[in-house]
Amino acid sequence: MSLALNGTNGVTYNDGTLQSSAPVGKNLIINGDMKIAQRGTSATGIASGNNFVLDRFIFNTGSIGTWTLSQDTDAPDGFSNSMKLQCTTANASPTGTNWCNFQQRIEAQNLQHLAYGTSSAKTITLSFWVKSNKTGTYTAMIYGYDSSPARTISAEYTISAADTWEKKTITFAGDSSGQIDNDNGAGFNIYWALGTGPDRKSSPLQTSWGAYDSTAFVSSSQVNLADSTSNYINITGVQLEVGENATPFENRMYSQELAMCQRYFQSFGGSNVADTVGQGTSFSTTNTYVLIHLLQTMRSVPSLGYSAVGDWRLHYPGVIGLEATVMAIATNESNNTKVIVNTTTATNASMGGGKCIQLSADSTINARLTFSAEL
Amino acid sequence: MQYKIINDAYGNVGSIELTKEDNTKISIPLDEANTDYQEFLSWKSEGNEPEPADE
Repeated sequence: MSLALNGTNGVTYNDGTLQSSAPVGKNLIINGDMKIAQRGTSATGIASGNNFVLDRFIFNTGSIGTWTLSQDTDAPDGFSNSMKLQCTTANASPTGTNWCNFQQRIEAQNLQHLAYGTSSAKTITLSFWVKSNKTGTYTAMIYGYDSSPARTISAEYTISAADTWEKKTITFAGDSSGQIDNDNGAGFNIYWALGTGPDRKSSPLQTSWGAYDSTAFVSSSQVNLADSTSNYINITGVQLEVGENATPFENRMYSQELAMCQRYFQSFGGSNVADTVGQGTSFSTTNTYVLIHLLQTMRSVPSLGYSAVGDWRLHYPGVIGLEATVMAIATNESNNTKVIVNTTTATNASMGGGKCIQLSADSTINARLTFSAEL
Repeated sequence: MQYKIINDAYGNVGSIELTKEDNTKISIPLDEANTDYQEFLSWKSEGNEPEPADE
């Protein structure tokens, strides 16, 4: 392998790429190759709010069409997956500030090396592969949370050929006037607009860092991907890195990427119809505290999601088969490395206090506990 | 969407239960870094009150 030092700009590798940042750990996007899907590989009928399917990516829509979001095997060479958004109910004339987009939020403490708020603020480059039937102008944006008011920068990109994978590269200047707190809150939100009502694109696009202006966030030329049920978009290979150039995608091992995703979301259960997710101690004849050690240290104390309480049962000591049906589930005295699941059952004198209890699926593959510390 | 206070086994506020429009539920910890809890606090600051805990 030949290398050429290129002044202060970095190193030119023998594939011709100029890499100005270290090739390991350079990508600030998690799951950029769309291979992690802990929540499942598809969701249908999406018509509002923030929605997760593939890890770390949010699909947001407000009254613009109905969508199916899925992990797709259609991908450019070198990638196995992409995220696909398919419009299933059209809205050709979005109004007001209604819009749809997908996003990834980045934890602020992972952005400290960008030196925002100083004269050394770093230029960053966003690159990704995209494919759609609908050609035209799209918008990618960065929203910086920690300045007051929040600061943004936007850029147009063009999908030139229908149904063809294209690589897009957008470079954003550093923000010497911005602020990124050194904490576990959101620092950046990277947006890709898919369609918007007129109120988000009524002013000239804000292509330099400045205070958030909702009327200048999206290009006035932005296509409306929601205008036909024939419309789709696939994306993969998303990378955000320091420097003025897009370098080859940083391929991380599956285990590395999964661990990074599990800082924000984890799922337990679903491997068999009697899957045991944790053990604990009965606190009374109605309450049991079940301890679950999290797989990674999470960003914050996580929210506990659960399938129907009827999917769960408690096993307790005594004759084999003694069990109690769960009536309620709640997180309690948890932190970002462990969760205590407080389960409530009908009064059961056999359970008593201080007995070893096991929380298991009640004859269903659908029993799941999820832990979310998303930004 | 409905919030409800959930007490722990000692009778103290232990968590917030959110019932979503599709009737799924999540249990929200009292952690200000948790975005679900941030949304609850924002909702409450608008003058809303959660359903009280069961007796």
